[in-house]
Amino acid sequence: MTRKFDRRRLAQYGVVVLVAVTLNFLLPRLMPGNPLALIAGVDVGLLTTEQRAEIIADTGLDNPLWRQYVDYWGAIFTGDFGFSYRSGRPIVEMIRDRLPWTLLITGSSLAISALAGVVIGAFSAWRRGRPEDLGLLTGMISLESLPSFWLGMLLISLFSVQWGILPSFGAVTPASDLVGWEHLKDIIGHAVLPVATLTILSTPGVYLTMRYSMLETLGEDYIRTARAKGAGGRRVLFGHVARNAIAPVITVLAIRLGFAFGGTVIVEQVFSYPGLGRLVFEAVSGRDYPVMQAAFLVFTAAVLIANLVADLLYPWVDPRTRTS
Amino acid sequence: MRTRFLVTRGALLLAALLFIGACGGDDEPEPEAPAEQATTTAPTTTAATANEMMDVPDEPDTPTTTQAPTTTAAAPPAEPVRIRAAVTGDEGTLNPYTYISGFPGWNLLMLQYDSLTQVDADGVPQPWLASEVTTNADLTEYTVALVEGVTWHDGQPLTAHDVKFTADYFINNAAASRFARDLAGVTEVVVVDDLTATFVLEATNPGFNLVALADVPIIPQHIWESVTDPEGHQFEGGTNIGSGPFRMTDYDEGQAYRFAANPDYFRGPPGVDELVVVVFADDAGAQAAIRTGEVDVIFERIPPEQIDLLDAQDPLDVLLGPEFTTQMINYDASIRPFDDVAVRKAIDLAMNRQDIVDTVFLGAATVGSPGWIHPGHSSYNPAIVPVHDPAAANALLDEAGYLDTDGNGVREYDGGQPMSFEIITNAPDSLRLRIAELTVEMLSEIGIQTSVSSVETATWENAVWPGFDVSQGRNYNIAMWGWSAPVQANPLRLPSLIQSTGFLNLTGFANAEIDELSDRLAVETDAAEREAILGRMQEIIADQLPFVLLAYPDGAYVYDSDVYSDWEFIAGQGIVSKLSLLPPSARP
Repeated sequence: MTRKFDRRRLAQYGVVVLVAVTLNFLLPRLMPGNPLALIAGVDVGLLTTEQRAEIIADTGLDNPLWRQYVDYWGAIFTGDFGFSYRSGRPIVEMIRDRLPWTLLITGSSLAISALAGVVIGAFSAWRRGRPEDLGLLTGMISLESLPSFWLGMLLISLFSVQWGILPSFGAVTPASDLVGWEHLKDIIGHAVLPVATLTILSTPGVYLTMRYSMLETLGEDYIRTARAKGAGGRRVLFGHVARNAIAPVITVLAIRLGFAFGGTVIVEQVFSYPGLGRLVFEAVSGRDYPVMQAAFLVFTAAVLIANLVADLLYPWVDPRTRTS
Repeated sequence: MRTRFLVTRGALLLAALLFIGACGGDDEPEPEAPAEQATTTAPTTTAATANEMMDVPDEPDTPTTTQAPTTTAAAPPAEPVRIRAAVTGDEGTLNPYTYISGFPGWNLLMLQYDSLTQVDADGVPQPWLASEVTTNADLTEYTVALVEGVTWHDGQPLTAHDVKFTADYFINNAAASRFARDLAGVTEVVVVDDLTATFVLEATNPGFNLVALADVPIIPQHIWESVTDPEGHQFEGGTNIGSGPFRMTDYDEGQAYRFAANPDYFRGPPGVDELVVVVFADDAGAQAAIRTGEVDVIFERIPPEQIDLLDAQDPLDVLLGPEFTTQMINYDASIRPFDDVAVRKAIDLAMNRQDIVDTVFLGAATVGSPGWIHPGHSSYNPAIVPVHDPAAANALLDEAGYLDTDGNGVREYDGGQPMSFEIITNAPDSLRLRIAELTVEMLSEIGIQTSVSSVETATWENAVWPGFDVSQGRNYNIAMWGWSAPVQANPLRLPSLIQSTGFLNLTGFANAEIDELSDRLAVETDAAEREAILGRMQEIIADQLPFVLLAYPDGAYVYDSDVYSDWEFIAGQGIVSKLSLLPPSARP
């Protein structure tokens, strides 16, 4: 039973990977414009026809589309994505430099928003209909509707420009020669505002899911039974309700984890944070195909892995979904 | 029992989630690793620079030993000047093959290298690495005499052999190199002696001094002769060895560059000891950082609405000056109805350029000359002035038969087609978007209906200039457009914009007299005669309107006057150059 299930699931993932990789390959090429300007620089218009052809041939872009597609699969299996048109650097190296920064801010903000969303959501549901619940609900819905670039700029203008207590850009102070603990403090200081922005934006989603899931669970027969048996408020809340309500939150978190990478594009742009999102933004603006392909692949992998984790965790958290 | 077990699991799960997050946190030391390597090497660099800096005051002391103690005691060592500059975009590893943008990439490149001549504050080439440039009568030979005693950053002497090598190397490794194009037409470079070289050209080229000698960085033969793949070259120090006032010591992709002063610079040591160039994702970030004091200058024009705001803040100052970038209307002059000069003239007359300068640029721009050349430029024809007269524009269109027969406020052409068009512009340029919106209003006054289509830059470029190759045609009716400063700074480039075969002729314009004048301009050896040709060309442009030039945005640069204030504004090009960082006495 389990094995059959696994095989079907595996096939599903296989199809998703195939479609995603194909889209990653096609999307950049479907966009109008071409990377010639990026490769040749500002003076692209001054190139002769032969020089243009030479540049295009250097990049392999004159190959038929199927051939480029096969090469892309080759790159995926060998892990060699070639060189950026823009900087000439090996793409694997660029992603390796950028990925940890993105992981740092997305990981921290997801952890904080998961904890905050679950706790506040549970509390809110427990106090359903009372002023504190309504206040939290209104507050969270307002937060969720904030545009990320606006929130980021607001935080910069308050914490950096007005009060001067936090750096406004980057991941470290440039050319500061800090080492050890000072360096770590520098990194944390620079991460505070981007993490705060991402956390503020992702907490409401967790909160709302947790709250509704709690409310639903609170109405279940077994809760009423537990209460009738004389189980106290806090014990029911944490022992019965919260535990059973958490399953949908896992799904929300998994989805957020997957999309967190893409969600950092704007925040990294606002804070000039040297993560993957900014790399993608630059690559898209310049039609840097190989960088786009490789970065999209990382995004795809993140979504798939997050889904896989959710799939694996779900039966463990909620025994009702176990197959057997 | 079972319940408790599950509670523990739930808690474990939460803990696991937190752990995932914490892992993110624990990853922190990982990105540190490359930075830490950098920081371990960096102190040595700083130390070396500091030592060298100390050597500078010491050196003159050495010959006059008796005075040395008093001098050292009297003059306290000056506080090193360190500038943090903001740019908005990574510029690659900044050697002649890997820098990215024409501005400020080329400008940062040229901090490390020198050209044979160097433009002064008026934009006129002056002797630099070459103490003298002489030409033969028909301008086919340019002979340069090098300054004696110039050395590369590694101490090797710079000679005429490096000059010849540079030309040969750029020509032989031509792909995508601006410098190969600068040097097109060079048949050979002859080394006369160690300090003299002659560029032999295949034809008369009056622009060679400005286009090639002031633009091409001279590169060291002993470094580059072994480089076979110049564009794939990563930063490792070697390919960034130049003769310039600064040497790049560190590069963190997407984050920062670090330059140390070259104390042995042939014009004297720079007035700035260390330059840190910080890479921002956009200009809003850079503006926030200069307000907080995290950077000291922005190597990028600031938008007009920021000029007063930033200038009002102490210790920030804003330096303003004329620049040669352009904001213009392009139309496809090869198709109906823009192939009719009456329509083009009407559009020109409808445009209130002063209103654009006041409304969009808040005064920080120069009203566009319909003849293309900036009034502050030495080749400007003063007889050409813009005229705003919508009534005359309407009369012109009426007379040419473009009438509004159905009374809906929009004229028709060619048997009833409404004169209704899309104006395409690039979304990231908000000033250009505002100009487009004003254009819609101004054209509606003469019965031409337009709507603005604001698209992403690559899409816009692809419509106006498909494949960056004018032979591929055009896919637009009306577009807002603009050229970078170099296109105008050198007036000899003008033919490329308007000649029927010009490679920058994006509007499909063709005019027999322009073609003839263009051919003459290219081979004219007499400077006064060249100016006369340029004057006539401006008249034809103002009359035939291959495009409608609206304004030249002024350059505005913000800097922290407590840190450094010796910025030099090069007319038409702004403050980002080695001139700004050299002491005034070392400037041309």
